[in-house]
Amino acid sequence: MVHFSRLLAVAGVFSLALASNQAHAVGAPAGTNIDNTAVVTYSVGTVTATTTSNPTTVTVAEILDVVVTLQTPNVPVVPGATQQEMLYRVTNAGNGPEAFLLTMTSAIGGDDFDPTAAAPSIYFDTDASGDLSPGDVPYVAGSNDPLLNADAFVGVLVVNDIPTSVGDGDRGRSSLTAAARTGTGTAGFEYAGAGVGGTVAVVGTTEGDGVATGEYLVSGISLDAAKSATVADQFGGTRPIPGARINYSIVVTATGSGSAISTLFSDAIPANTTYVPGTLTLNSVSLSDGTDADAGEFTTTPSARVRVQLGTLTTASGPQTIQFAVTIN
Amino acid sequence: MFKGTMKFVIAAIACTFASQAFAQAQNCIELKTTGQVEKEVVNDKGEKTKVLAEAGKVVPGTEVVWTVTANNVCKQATDGVVMTNPVPEHMTLVTGSAIGPGSDITFSVDGKQFAPAGQLTVTENGATRPARAEEIRHIRWQLKSSLQPGASAMGRFRAVLN
Repeated sequence: MVHFSRLLAVAGVFSLALASNQAHAVGAPAGTNIDNTAVVTYSVGTVTATTTSNPTTVTVAEILDVVVTLQTPNVPVVPGATQQEMLYRVTNAGNGPEAFLLTMTSAIGGDDFDPTAAAPSIYFDTDASGDLSPGDVPYVAGSNDPLLNADAFVGVLVVNDIPTSVGDGDRGRSSLTAAARTGTGTAGFEYAGAGVGGTVAVVGTTEGDGVATGEYLVSGISLDAAKSATVADQFGGTRPIPGARINYSIVVTATGSGSAISTLFSDAIPANTTYVPGTLTLNSVSLSDGTDADAGEFTTTPSARVRVQLGTLTTASGPQTIQFAVTIN
Repeated sequence: MFKGTMKFVIAAIACTFASQAFAQAQNCIELKTTGQVEKEVVNDKGEKTKVLAEAGKVVPGTEVVWTVTANNVCKQATDGVVMTNPVPEHMTLVTGSAIGPGSDITFSVDGKQFAPAGQLTVTENGATRPARAEEIRHIRWQLKSSLQPGASAMGRFRAVLN
């Protein structure tokens, strides 16, 4: 499936946004017993002796902290679009396992329109694709609250529909909140016996909940991709048999007003096929497979795909043709 | 035969005396540690003051005040008193927090080589640099004078739970 990522308002690098925003949990795991024993040596006359103290133990209590970060800086949409997703990351910044309640809202001030929550409106990014995909599991409060170990995180998608009445350049905000199931409150508030191993659970500096807000940006420009394929088998024919080569050609065309900034073309290598190294081209210009100065790359993480940075596209840019080849396994 | 047995008995008695002396010396100092946290309380005058309370359960980021006390419970003075306390696991020593009246305080990374504050070094990739607070794992208090019967010596430091 061909996928576009467009950063319309902010020219930036999509992957940079993914790499940053790492939350760091506190160190010592909740429930850990820390023992302290001192030793003294001394002499009485000619006799030297050593004495060990009583062990003093302190137990690490559980701290409740959660950080929510937006992973998609800006989501370009068209009026009337349905099931538009924003990707968030919910990280347990505490020091013990904790379940989190997730809620979303799109009734937020300071924007031009309120996106309409889809039903369901929160999904786990189960397949880690960053998109809403058929395999993604809907979130049901109280039923599949994410249980995260210290430092662990989960990708969460907030899904909205875009009203038809919105205009070009309008912005609509939507936010995701994660709250520790044990409890929230002001920093330092204590939940007796609620922590790991019956320790006290103490609300951390995030006050036990976290929120992040994303934005939809209505864009008059839309990108269309037309994909075609030709098959060449090793016997001079066109049968799609193992060993046959499939040459793909995708033509990307911008229509409408405005410009799409930092357009990223991404296309997954189909299952049961293998990318043919060195076959990626943009407008007949060869692109190297490595992640380097030129616009294209072939990557296997998180899954095999080709990516091409198309830069700023307007209707004046004309059609952009991307080609690459695979062989059938 | 008879003489031989006598010798054996005498040797056994001498051995008992030695072990008694040893046992007495062993028990001459009682060593105690406490782990406490500062808590803010309001006193009779309505002022906020800080008191030390038993730590028990602490959350990361908390500063724990560790105190080690040596008490001479014998009728003889003890000499060369050296108290050693590791910086507990998962904790980082607060720089400049170690105190001990009448003691020379030294620090160590490996528990073998001890040096005064600021003089402890670490060799990394062939280069020598000052030890960082989180690398200090042992604190040692060496009493400058004898600990008299009934007297006590105290060492204290603060460490933050990571």
